[in-house]
Amino acid sequence: MPGFFREPARRVFAKELKDSNLTSKDENDQYAPQYLLTPTGANVNRIFIVGTLIEKEDIGSDSEYWRGRVSDPTGSFLIYAGQYQPEAAQFLAECEIPAFVAVIGKTSTYTTDDGNVLTSIRSESIQQVDELTRNLWVLDTAKQTLERIRAVEAQEDPNSKLAKEHYSIDTEIYREMVKKSLETLKDNT
Amino acid sequence: MKQTAESIRERFMKIGIDVPVEDIESRLDELIKKFKVPSNEAQRSVTNYFLKKYSIPKNEFYVRQAEPQLTKIVDIVENGQWANLNAKVVQLWENTHESISQVGLLGDETGIIKFTIWKNAELPLLEQGESYLLRSVVVGEYNGRFQVQFNKNSSAEKLTEPVIMGGGDFTPVAREAELRNIADLSGNQWATIRGKVVQLWENSHESIEQAGLIGDETGVIKFTNWASSELPVMEEGKSYMLKNVVVSEWNGKAQVQLNRSSSIEELDEDIEVRTSMFTYFGAMVDIQTGSGLIKRCPECKRALVKGACAEHGKVKGEYDLRIKAVLDAGTSTQDALINRELTEELSGISLDSAIAMAADALDPGVVQDKLKHELVGRYYTVTGHKLDRYILVESIIPSTSLDRELLDQMLSEHLAEQEVE
Repeated sequence: MPGFFREPARRVFAKELKDSNLTSKDENDQYAPQYLLTPTGANVNRIFIVGTLIEKEDIGSDSEYWRGRVSDPTGSFLIYAGQYQPEAAQFLAECEIPAFVAVIGKTSTYTTDDGNVLTSIRSESIQQVDELTRNLWVLDTAKQTLERIRAVEAQEDPNSKLAKEHYSIDTEIYREMVKKSLETLKDNT
Repeated sequence: MKQTAESIRERFMKIGIDVPVEDIESRLDELIKKFKVPSNEAQRSVTNYFLKKYSIPKNEFYVRQAEPQLTKIVDIVENGQWANLNAKVVQLWENTHESISQVGLLGDETGIIKFTIWKNAELPLLEQGESYLLRSVVVGEYNGRFQVQFNKNSSAEKLTEPVIMGGGDFTPVAREAELRNIADLSGNQWATIRGKVVQLWENSHESIEQAGLIGDETGVIKFTNWASSELPVMEEGKSYMLKNVVVSEWNGKAQVQLNRSSSIEELDEDIEVRTSMFTYFGAMVDIQTGSGLIKRCPECKRALVKGACAEHGKVKGEYDLRIKAVLDAGTSTQDALINRELTEELSGISLDSAIAMAADALDPGVVQDKLKHELVGRYYTVTGHKLDRYILVESIIPSTSLDRELLDQMLSEHLAEQEVE
């Protein structure tokens, strides 16, 4: 449909998102979405994660502002939900931890005083799911990450090239990450 | 100029007035040479001058033109030209505008031409198949084709002798469009198709009798049967022959439309439809507003917004259950429409229990919330026909097990690469 395009929710493991620090935005348009380019060349605006909610805390002062930590086989994501994400905030307020959750949200970044970039997810939706869904997500994310690694190695598209140029990281690190994630699924049998 | 002057003189002679040709000529000369008036305008002006001089009423003079100059259809070549025709009404078309009285085709032995009779021409209606002497029609041009138009000055006189048409009688019924495969249809042609009604859609507009999908061994196409075509309705799952349908293109996709010239014949056979089904695998990442328990207009089945139908205003709606879902594969997204039956099956919430839930909470939104809790974040494979940006879902299967084969394959490929290094 012309004029409207829904951002696909990218599949990225926690470790890779944590390593990401290259943001981009169309400066001429204040409503333009912000993107975060990951080391394997995923250009993330929206993200879909499934993992285990292991911590939650209301860090708001006046109104509720919830922060949660969701772990996957490679690390953990920080997720936030405040008054502008009422459904997600309500979920975090009411849920028991630990729990398997599926989170759809937008990535945001924060640069600390000493120049570190912290990545987090502003939740649009959080739902409790089962272990199977979590495993399906690990397999899905592994598959998509491997495809991106291949693209970076082959320098297939502009995002791959930019990722390689900016991060100059050995893709083997991420292959290893994918492998470990897949092995956790193997253990479950 | 001499000729023009002579013709003016002749016309006056016919009503018994001898105008000196020199007078006519000198007036014409002055207008054309000195004042650069076009010759036909000059002719009219000079004629009017003498009419006034001899106090002859204009109407009388022009009506008295005994034998009109007849133009053959093939000779109609100039925009703005006035003409008198002996022609047969070949075909009357459906009227498309309130300011038009009649529209259709006229024919004579040299050809056919479109005609338009405006309401304000106040002419009696022409009958199809009859021949007429048509006076003072104006030639117009539209989309590169000539047509004739009737106005207040035009008249139609029925002829007892029918006008003979060139190249045999042109009759629309004699022409039946060619039978074609659905996959071969493309824009702007007439066709006859045979196929099975794959799907009937909820009627979205009162001017539409039926709309849906019809398919044959080669493909599936959207059809629209307009209420004005006055054709019988078709049933889902039955096969039909649709004669003389119009193929048009919209958004780059072909579709067929039935009109008054079309016909529908039910067939005994069961046509096997080549499924152009579309399958998509992904996580459900959103359930959009307008999902869950909704009300539809009893007239047109449209979903109501705040209790009102866009077409019929405030109506007593009928409850329905549906999901407008967004599926996401990580690199693309797909909107999916899930009907009541599948929604009930997928969520375990029946329409009745949804109504009860809504009544209990005094809020129909609880149904949508419940659906979100049950479905969002999970992986599904949906199959259905694609329409615009939606899949009209015919089956939706939740993923219930991990693809071990894929897992093993990915691990082995991955490990293999490790060993090489």
